Amino acid sequence: MAEEFMVVKDLYKSFKDLKAVNGVSFSIYKGEIFGLLGPNGAGKTTTIRMLSTVLEADKGEIIIGGHSVKKDAEAVRSIIGVCPQDLALYEDLSALDNMVFFGRMAGMEGKEAKAQAMENLKLMGLEGRAKGKVGKFSGGMKRRINLAIALMGSPQLLFLDEPTVGIDPQSRNHIFENIQGLQKKGLTILYTTHYMEEADRLCNRIAIMDGGQIIALDTSYNLKKQIGSPEKVTLEDVFLKLTGRSLRD
Amino acid sequence: MKHLTHIWFIALKDLKIFAKDRASVFFFIVFPFMFIVLFTFLLQGTGGEDNRVELHMATREASGGLSQQIIGAIVTPDESLLKPGDPVIIWDKDYEASRQAVIDGELEGLLAFPADFTQSVMTGEKTKLEIFSDAGATYARAALNSIAGAISSQISTDKVVIDASISLLVGSGAIPADSESIDRATQQLLNAAMSGAAPGGSDSFLTYKIVNVGDVEAGNASDFVIPGYLVMFVFFAAAVSAQRIVWERQNHTLERLLASSVKRESILGGIYTGTFIRGLIQIIIFWVVGILVFNVDLGLSPPAVIILSVLMVIMSAAFALMLATLARTMRSAASLAVLTSLLLAPLGGCWWPSFLYPEWLQNIAKITPHAWATSGFNKLMLFGADFGDALPSMLALLVFALIFGIIAAWRFRTSAT
Repeated sequence: MAEEFMVVKDLYKSFKDLKAVNGVSFSIYKGEIFGLLGPNGAGKTTTIRMLSTVLEADKGEIIIGGHSVKKDAEAVRSIIGVCPQDLALYEDLSALDNMVFFGRMAGMEGKEAKAQAMENLKLMGLEGRAKGKVGKFSGGMKRRINLAIALMGSPQLLFLDEPTVGIDPQSRNHIFENIQGLQKKGLTILYTTHYMEEADRLCNRIAIMDGGQIIALDTSYNLKKQIGSPEKVTLEDVFLKLTGRSLRD
Repeated sequence: MKHLTHIWFIALKDLKIFAKDRASVFFFIVFPFMFIVLFTFLLQGTGGEDNRVELHMATREASGGLSQQIIGAIVTPDESLLKPGDPVIIWDKDYEASRQAVIDGELEGLLAFPADFTQSVMTGEKTKLEIFSDAGATYARAALNSIAGAISSQISTDKVVIDASISLLVGSGAIPADSESIDRATQQLLNAAMSGAAPGGSDSFLTYKIVNVGDVEAGNASDFVIPGYLVMFVFFAAAVSAQRIVWERQNHTLERLLASSVKRESILGGIYTGTFIRGLIQIIIFWVVGILVFNVDLGLSPPAVIILSVLMVIMSAAFALMLATLARTMRSAASLAVLTSLLLAPLGGCWWPSFLYPEWLQNIAKITPHAWATSGFNKLMLFGADFGDALPSMLALLVFALIFGIIAAWRFRTSAT
C-alpha cells in the first residue's frame, strides 16, 4: 500500500456566514499528482491556503510529511513549495533575483540559492533570461518563473494552484513536462485547475469539490466510469454532471 | 538569527526594487530639491534687511514723575549705536496722538504709564501699565509685554528694598517716624534710583539685556525651506510606499513568504526596515546637499537636528505600515498617502513657519507629527535653541511612531482576504 504523505481530516473554514470549506477529508500518497477540481467558489484555494499553512483552519487536522500543520507549521513549511494562482513575483527584479530571494527566505545559503535558481531556470527553459526583468517577460514566462520559485528549497510537496492560467499551448506543454519530471523525481503534487484535460493528463487521482465539500474522489478512469464508458465520456462530462450547469460567481 | 536574516533580506529586496525604479528615485530624491531650489530662490533675502522693531513709550504723568525718569533711562539715544536686532525705544511725548496712531495702524504698539503712576508707587497702591497694540503686531506686542514686565518687576524689587531701608532708618532714629518725613525719604531714594545714583552703584534704575545667539545675519531661506521639505517628503515617500505593501498583499508575495518559513513579524520588520533605510538615505542626501549646496546652518546642536531627522524617518515608516494595514486597495493607499501628506504638510508648518499661524491653528497643528518636527527644526536652526529645547519635539515624534507602530503591528495582515 502506498505511503500517505498528506492526510486531511474533517477540515472546516468559514468567512463570516460563508462556509468556504465544509468538512473536507482526503489523503495524498507520496509521489502522487493529486488533482483538486471544482467550479469557482468551490473552496479549492481556501483548502490550499490552509494546507500551505497561511490560513488557519476553524476545525480539522492536516498532517504533512508526518508533521501537524497546527502544531508544527514551521516543519511543514520546510518541506512544501507553493505556486499560487496569482503571479506572486517581484516584477521590478530579475528572474534570478526573484528566485535567489525566495531561496534565501526558504533558508538556503547564498551560493546554494543561486545554484539552485540557475538549475530551476534551466528546467523552465529560462536560463538565458536569468538577468531579465520579470516585468518584461511574457505571461507564459512569468508562469514558469512562478513555478520555478515554488521549487526553491527542494520541497517534497508542491501546491500548484492553477499554474497554467492564461498561457500559450507551448508554455503549458512545457509546464506539464516539468510537472511530470518532478513527479518522476519523487515529488508529491497537489494540482488545481479549471482545465479538465490537464487534470486528465497529469493527475493520478482527482477530487471534485463543490460547495466546500468533496463530492467525488477517484482516478480519472473510475470517475468517468461512474457516468458511462470511460472511452467515450470526458472528465468535463463528469464534472458538469456532478457540479451542475448553473453559472457560478 | 534566522528571523533577523529574513528581516534583512526583505529590507534589501525592497531597497533593490527602489533603486531599480528610476521614477521612484527621481520622485523621492530629485523632485524635493526642485521645490527646495524654487522656494529658496523665492524666499532668499527674507530677513536680510534689518527690520528693527520700534517700541513706543509714552506717559500721562506730568513732568518730574517717576515714569518720565524710567522712559528717559531706557529710550534709545542714538539709533546708529544699536546692534543688529536690537529694538529702537522711542519716547512719544503726546500720549493721545500716539494712542490714536496705534488705532489708525500707523504704530504697531505703545507702552503707556498712567497719570497716577508715581503716586501709586509711592503709596504702594496697585497701578497698571497700558499696552496698546495692533492685533497683528506679534513681535512688537511681545517686546512691549516683556518691557512692561521688566519695569513692574524692577519697581517691585526697588520698592521692597526702599521700604526696608526706610524702616531701618526710622528704627535707628535717622528719620522721624511721621508720614511726611517717610514720604520725603522714599521720594529721595526713588529719585536716586531713577537718576542712577542709587546705593549699589548701578548706572540706571532699569537695565535690560538682549542675548543674541550667534550673529544676526541675512536669513538663509534654506534654513527653513530644507527642514520643511525634508519633513514633507520623508513622510510622503514613506506614505506612498504603503501602496507597494498593499500590492504585495494583493499579489500574494507576502503570503508566499509566509509559506516559506518567514514569520509575520519578520515580514513586518523587513518592510519597516526597508522603508526606514530608504528614509535614512533621503535625510542623508537632504542634509549633505543642504550643507554643501545651500549652505544650511544646523544651529548650535547638529546632533539634535540629526536625531530629530532620524525620528522623523522612524515615525514616517511606522505611518506607512499603519496606512498599508488600513487601506484595502492600492488606489485607496495612494489616495490616503497623498491626502494625508498634502493636508499635514501645510498644517504642520512645512511650507511656511507654523509660528506665524494664529494660536488656535497652532494648537490644532499639534495633532500632526509634522508640526512637532518642523517646530523642533525651526527652534534648532532658526532660533538658536539647544538639544534640550528640541526634546519635546523628539518625544512627540517617538510617541507618534509608537502609536502608528502598535496599530500597524496589531492590524498587519499578509493576505487580502
